[in-house]
Amino acid sequence: MTAVSGSPRSSRLRRTRVAQALDNRGTLIATLLVPVLIFFVLFNTIPTLWLLGLSFYNYSLTSGSPPSFVGFRNFIQIFNNRNNIWADLSRTFTFVVFGVGIQTVLGLALGFLFWGSKEMPGRRVALTMLFTPMVLTPVATGTFFRFIYDPDFGVLNVILHGLFSTRPINFLSEPGTAFWAVLAVDCWMWTPFMILMALAALGSVPKAELEAAEVDRLPWRKRLTLVIWHHGKFILMLGILLRTIDSFKTLDLIIPLTKGGPGQETRLVAMEVNKQAFESFNMGWSSAYSVLLLLISIAMTSVFIFILNLRRRRGA
Amino acid sequence: MAEINIDGVTKRFGTFTAVQDMDIRFADGEVACLLGPSGCGKTTLMRMIAGLEHPTSGRILFGDRDVTALPTHARNVGMVFQYPVMYPTLSVAENIALPLKQDRSLSAAERDLRVAEMLDVLDMREHGGSFIDELDSGNRQKVAVGRAIARRSDIVLFDEPTTNVEVNAKLQLIRAIKTVIQRTRQTIVYVTHDQTEAMTLADRIALMYGGKIIQYDRPDVLYNQPLTEFGGWFLGNPGMNFVPATVANGQISAPILAEPLPAPANLPSQGAIKIGIRPEWIAMHDTPQPGSVEGTLADQTVGIAGRYLTRVSFGDVDVKVKTDGRPPAPIGGRVHLVPRRGRITLYADGNRLA
Repeated sequence: MTAVSGSPRSSRLRRTRVAQALDNRGTLIATLLVPVLIFFVLFNTIPTLWLLGLSFYNYSLTSGSPPSFVGFRNFIQIFNNRNNIWADLSRTFTFVVFGVGIQTVLGLALGFLFWGSKEMPGRRVALTMLFTPMVLTPVATGTFFRFIYDPDFGVLNVILHGLFSTRPINFLSEPGTAFWAVLAVDCWMWTPFMILMALAALGSVPKAELEAAEVDRLPWRKRLTLVIWHHGKFILMLGILLRTIDSFKTLDLIIPLTKGGPGQETRLVAMEVNKQAFESFNMGWSSAYSVLLLLISIAMTSVFIFILNLRRRRGA
Repeated sequence: MAEINIDGVTKRFGTFTAVQDMDIRFADGEVACLLGPSGCGKTTLMRMIAGLEHPTSGRILFGDRDVTALPTHARNVGMVFQYPVMYPTLSVAENIALPLKQDRSLSAAERDLRVAEMLDVLDMREHGGSFIDELDSGNRQKVAVGRAIARRSDIVLFDEPTTNVEVNAKLQLIRAIKTVIQRTRQTIVYVTHDQTEAMTLADRIALMYGGKIIQYDRPDVLYNQPLTEFGGWFLGNPGMNFVPATVANGQISAPILAEPLPAPANLPSQGAIKIGIRPEWIAMHDTPQPGSVEGTLADQTVGIAGRYLTRVSFGDVDVKVKTDGRPPAPIGGRVHLVPRRGRITLYADGNRLA
């Protein structure tokens, strides 16, 4: 006799079989992971592999000719400094180091301030206001900072003129100031994130240990190294890592501010990839460039993780 | 010189009053336990002594020194917290040495000597080089005890140090604390909600309830002559019996009294009071005795060391009685109780009369 599918008995059997399968820990974990894995493969692994493949081709969307395999030619061009991209890379590193550095220092300073002033009236309002830059669209931020920096009617020049009687400065168009003007906006936008991470890091320090340090009369330096740093370092380093990766890809802020100008002064790596891929439609070359940036990002992340584990191993 | 004087201290958190207009003096070199149920203000009082909280009003003095406005680090107290604190990047010996290093007048040799001595007392010699990961919570707390004591500050505070310690490590920890406490001449304030701990460790116990000190006395006085019904109920396992009684014509009569008691002079001549007597001060017999009253054995449970805890009922009044060995009657049977006269205390409106 054959099993009649759809009969109550067989469906009940099937359900118990599913339940039994889910009882198995391995099966359960696999079942829960499958949707994520599908998503990950579809939107992450396949595009990355596609990108990797494309980097070995000469493929221009506008020429109409089919992609042609060129081996390592794209990479060789990059190493031969096509479009002066080594300057972009070194400028981006400067941007990351100064930007993340300033944001970390300011974030920590303000984080300590807010951490130490839990009784201060208006603290909550101040914190909320402080976090607004982070939630604004970078394009909007860039646009209104362009107005602030404007040499003719920008408020910054008005203030500077009023205070120091300076002549109007065209912050975004002068080679000496453009880069730092953009960096300042980046800091304005992302310092709140580092405050948040600093507060989270400080929040992870057990209250009893801080009180014990107070009772034991430890000087501030010792409290920082023995108690606060030990508990807070992981979250803080995570914040720095996230900010580094993000800062390395800065694009949306620069487009409304300077579009990379004047000349090449504010052109970061992401600007060039964006221009080659979506303005010149030079897909092969921009893919090769992206692969290089991906490798750099992975390298930076690995270094961070290595440092974190190193400290933990020694601290244990 | 290191007596602690709490002078009219009140502490409010918003609308909640944790400590209410408190006056108490912890004598120099004594071990005082603050004992009471959760939320009675004992931890708040201790934290105010440490300087981790500041009183809303009133003064705190160490000897003649008014420390009310001083921050913790300026008060020079040692403290052991509920949560075992051990600095994670330092070894056991380094942890104990850390507060000593803040004292510049102490030579390195003297410091090492004190650390070694402390490790000895705590029975942790072989753990001197261990780190936090290698120790259980009891040993971590011992390190915290060592750190607080080795400094030889005048005052040491313990904030429920055994609460967050695993059960099997607890006994060892209490033994270590007891050893340490007996050896030092520091003034010690020890907060606990565990009466056994308080009874074993304290020279004097301050029983607290609702932000007030109900009674501050030697453990045996506190146990045998509680000033309030709450004290009698809270201490002992189980607590004191409170049997309704009436006063009439200078005589007290109650269901557990075979013949009326003469009422002390300070009692009102008329009215309802309560008789307090601990379950262990009532003897149980199977036959009538001089001065015995007859009741029904309603319930029995086996207690510690062959003792039984029973409930004897007199109509609508129940009395708890502790017996050495099995009760002389089965449940439902008749028993004869003799309360020991000298152990009877009298209460009205929750407070002791005599």
